Amino acid sequence: MIFSINFSSKYKKSAVLLLTFYLFVLSCAPVREPLKFALVVSPPSLEKLQIAAFPVENLSGTRAPARKIGESLRAQLKKEGLNILDDNALEEFMSGHRLRYTGALDIETARAFRDEIGIDAVLITSLELYDESYPPKISLISRLVFTGDTPQILWMDSAGLSGDESPGLLGLGLIEDPEILLKNALENLSRSLADYISVGKQPIAVSKQGKDHKFYPKFFYRSPILSPDLKYRIAVMPFLNKSERKNAGDIMMLHFLETLRQFENFDVIEPGIVRQNLLSFRIIMNEGISFANAGLIFSTLEADADLILSGTVVDYQDYHGSEGTAKVDFSVLVIEKKSHEIVWTSKSYNTGDEGVFFFDFGKVYTAHIMASEMISAIGALLAE
Amino acid sequence: MRTRNTMGFFGKIALVLTVISLVSCTASKLIDIYFDPNMDLGAVRTAAVMPFDNLTREQMAADRVRDVFINKLLSTGEIYVVPSGEVKRGILLLGISNPSSPSTEETVKLASLIKVDVIITGTVREYGEVRSGTTSANIISLSLQMIEGLSGKIIWTASSTKGGISTKDRLLGGGGRPMNDVTEEAVNDILNKFFF
Repeated sequence: MIFSINFSSKYKKSAVLLLTFYLFVLSCAPVREPLKFALVVSPPSLEKLQIAAFPVENLSGTRAPARKIGESLRAQLKKEGLNILDDNALEEFMSGHRLRYTGALDIETARAFRDEIGIDAVLITSLELYDESYPPKISLISRLVFTGDTPQILWMDSAGLSGDESPGLLGLGLIEDPEILLKNALENLSRSLADYISVGKQPIAVSKQGKDHKFYPKFFYRSPILSPDLKYRIAVMPFLNKSERKNAGDIMMLHFLETLRQFENFDVIEPGIVRQNLLSFRIIMNEGISFANAGLIFSTLEADADLILSGTVVDYQDYHGSEGTAKVDFSVLVIEKKSHEIVWTSKSYNTGDEGVFFFDFGKVYTAHIMASEMISAIGALLAE
Repeated sequence: MRTRNTMGFFGKIALVLTVISLVSCTASKLIDIYFDPNMDLGAVRTAAVMPFDNLTREQMAADRVRDVFINKLLSTGEIYVVPSGEVKRGILLLGISNPSSPSTEETVKLASLIKVDVIITGTVREYGEVRSGTTSANIISLSLQMIEGLSGKIIWTASSTKGGISTKDRLLGGGGRPMNDVTEEAVNDILNKFFF
């Protein structure tokens, strides 16, 4: 038996009515704000990018050969074939502008770099950890910031290494010399940047995309206001540091920048712009961010933030020597622009030896790696 | 006949023991909570958590417990907690000299300024490691108060003590559970006393 539909005038009428009703229902659906795309960055050409590498910012809280590390990094980048500004020219520019802070790039400095000496991007490197005692440990975080009208992060990557993280058979993989470890870290970063410059490849630090439940926040609140379909421009504030580790608040901020920019839902704002706002409004955050402070930051056109991410770091602990465990404990708070409400809050804490039962298998050796994993898990939950 | 009498005697003992144990369980649960019978706690929607009082030797204990409590309370999705920065702004604006135990007037003014229904204050009485002989374990003891923003009256109080040295710790050692886990458990216990 063959079924056929006879489109008589009666059916046609019904079809037209149905279509009209459908269109009406669609028009009644709440209008969603389209995805806000990041500022379109069009550097002249990645391969011809003129880069100025800032001196390394020392956030380790200890004495460290930051100058030497900076020199080695510049040498390594030149070896990779990148156009790096000469040290003398950079020093002249920095002294001319009385530029002392090398942890971020504000709008004025970015413009000066571009207009006065034709620099397209600035490489900002922070030394998170430097420990020469056996086994040596080093953590570096680096980012390339475009010197357009609004400074924007083009690339960001980090390296957190410990001499004993891959002992191998009979300990043949142990690294005892801090120089070798430093060289490895610098090579990783330079290669990653060179890959970005040559083929536009972005690093993927989010190794597990938050799949490891061990690093999930212990508890969190996510407001339904946050939509997975929207792209949010997010200002990451320095965390309130209640830990014993010096500069842990700034380190956490850098980790969040690095991780969140890998999610499509977020367009992170260069911290130099946020810092400029904090200074110009004379904002001092005694105990975290208040709604009044948030309102001031939301009101600025330069930042144009949809979300402000802030938090408190209670523990950020690396260990010296071969015995011990890394420890990271922090809470996060996200405030949304339109509702002026907290839309995310979470508490995360982990230790490096969690879930380790045999021969250090699965141990996390540095707070750097652990913080990255924990923040990846938060990023995945925020974005979903 | 004789056998039946003996069975009856043991049965009676068992019955008395069961009743005693049940009564003791019931009594212990209601000791450390206070509710204002005239207050509808379901109407509480926004809260500010003041810095906790620290009676321990651990310098950061109050901040650590407050951080866990704020996040835990927010994550219930039942009560909106204003950020700590906003609370600090209010404290500074009103010049509250002792934020962990504000006066009635200060509480009313603060609640009105930062637009919250209630103010929560707390005291951390014990935090950290306790020792008994060669055994050690982590312990926490805290108490909280909820003060209504309009009247400045205490509407709810609760306390909790978790951790400490258990029989298992004494027999097997091991140093007890991590401080974070014990803190979380105590905060959960307190919140259960509010939302039960």
